[in-house]
Amino acid sequence: MRIVSSLLLVAAALAYPWLVPNYYLVYAGVLTVMYAAMATSWNILGGLSGYVSLGHSAFFGLGAYGTGLLVARLGWPWPLALGVSTAGVALFAALVGVAAVRVRGASFVIVTIALVSAMNLLAQGWRSLTGGSVALQVPSPFAGLHRGQTHLLFYHLFLALLAAVLLAWWLISRSRYGSGLRAIREDEDKAESLGVPTAAYKVVAFALSALFVALAGGLYALWFGSLDPIFVFSVVFGASMVLMSLLGGRRHLLGPLLGALIVAPAGEYFLIALGETQIHLTATGVLLVLVVLFMPEGILARRWRRDHNRRAPQVLRRSDGGA
Amino acid sequence: MITTAGLRKSYGGVTAVRDATVEVLPGKINALIGPNGSGKTTFFNLVTGLIKPDSGTVHYRDTDITGRSPHRIAHLGLGRTFQLCRIFPRMTVLENMLVAVRRTRLRELLAGIGNPAEIERARGWLRRTGIEHMETAEARELSYGQQKLLELAAVLMAEPELILLDEPAGGVNPALIERLVTLIRELNAEGHTFLVVEHNMDMVMGMSDHVIVFDRGAPICAGPPRQVRSDPRVLEAYLGV
Ligand SMILES: Nc1ncnc2c1ncn2[C@@H]1O[C@H](COP(=O)(O)OP(=O)(O)OP(=O)(O)O)[C@@H](O)[C@H]1O
Ligand SMILES: [Mg+2]
Repeated sequence: MRIVSSLLLVAAALAYPWLVPNYYLVYAGVLTVMYAAMATSWNILGGLSGYVSLGHSAFFGLGAYGTGLLVARLGWPWPLALGVSTAGVALFAALVGVAAVRVRGASFVIVTIALVSAMNLLAQGWRSLTGGSVALQVPSPFAGLHRGQTHLLFYHLFLALLAAVLLAWWLISRSRYGSGLRAIREDEDKAESLGVPTAAYKVVAFALSALFVALAGGLYALWFGSLDPIFVFSVVFGASMVLMSLLGGRRHLLGPLLGALIVAPAGEYFLIALGETQIHLTATGVLLVLVVLFMPEGILARRWRRDHNRRAPQVLRRSDGGA
Repeated sequence: MITTAGLRKSYGGVTAVRDATVEVLPGKINALIGPNGSGKTTFFNLVTGLIKPDSGTVHYRDTDITGRSPHRIAHLGLGRTFQLCRIFPRMTVLENMLVAVRRTRLRELLAGIGNPAEIERARGWLRRTGIEHMETAEARELSYGQQKLLELAAVLMAEPELILLDEPAGGVNPALIERLVTLIRELNAEGHTFLVVEHNMDMVMGMSDHVIVFDRGAPICAGPPRQVRSDPRVLEAYLGV
């Protein structure tokens, strides 16, 4: 039963663009899947190690600008640009991570906000490279396709990314490395005193999680074709990854995906209903506070426990890695 | 086994540990006693690398481990428990046990947790500490005494040569204390060295070979229990001037 229903869901996800009546809904689908992939990669760090980053949009923006600039300015083929820019961002994240994960809790959150703010200023200030506050235009690598077909293509590219990130999270969560990350989340000094090299574990999680977000950023640049530093490097954009993960449940593989399926379409809906206002900023903040205060475990909190005890190999709780 | 020289650590105006020159005897059950606030826990934290000393050195066997990170000190064979028992509350008892198994190769790190040989070893320690029936429970579901046993069992998974226990009998019922003393004795006979901080004097005097006494951050005397018990400096430290 489980397998059948899972297969049906996957089939539905693959067929979605052909099931909806217009290209706008395909476009909304691309955004939602992109958010789901980003929130799940955020959750490699946030869910497993417990380190909450509000600045992951920095890696999205760097991935987007990296890919965009290599394609637009140097005329690189897009797969190469995407690969090089993603690898560069992951390396940068590892270096930032070495410094950032030295602090915990609220201090870590503030460091990540500072990171994205610095990137924002850099992108706006370095006019000759980024075009400053004027959006950077990235020529579409698929010029032969019309807008609708491009949405269709990128829907499936983002879906492939989402699948890859889910697989990565699942593999890590059931590995010994993932067990070490969970120990860090529960009690970092205790983990360290038992011999877990906590600093190295955290840096790797930070870089891995940044890597997938950077990939999403690169795909976004190729898809959207126009990069606005104020959007891609915004704290609110970073906060939406946090909101989705916490709302869905960050101890669970599918939590961030579920959160994205709720928050992203809602965001699009309000954009249409109310137009371009600042309301979504406030709404994101208020929702985040409400979730943290009233349902810190998210929707997928502890439903799984009994079921888990029956099936899993006794070492793990279902809420910590079972799918 | 552990030798410290001139170890010192202050917090603002408070000097928690001063001029601590201490020797922990290999193969023995060493005890560290002293009034509240005399610096015993701080001394543990200095030895295990959780805090860095302002001055002084710590040697483990012939290795200078001053200022090393705690996980590297743990890898040398030092295991410790905490005064307020620390376990991973949201992880199962079995997963708690497996955290301490050292992984170095990438392949080991990426393998699924729960390799049968390791699980068997974990079960062995859980049996010896008497909590094997709890292995699938979340650690936070255990009673306080059971959590203390789990903490000790998890430390033993790393197969430490030297085990530092910070008040193992604190908040634990007498029957459990009995079991704990027996276990410590057995483990000592199997080759583990102990350094135990404890306020329960019957327990300390009954089981240890060597007692170190701290007062106001500094060691004031050390020796076999009988000698320490009658030392005037110790009586003074405990009874006040
Ligand atoms: N992190 C800290 N910040 C400030 N002062 C501290 C800190 N840790 C310890 N102290 C102070 O250092 C002194 C020694 O404390 P420590 O906890 O080492 O004593 P102890 O011998 O373990 O006491 P107890 O028997 O009550 O556990 C105390 O005066 C304590 O208040
Ligand atoms: Mg103490």
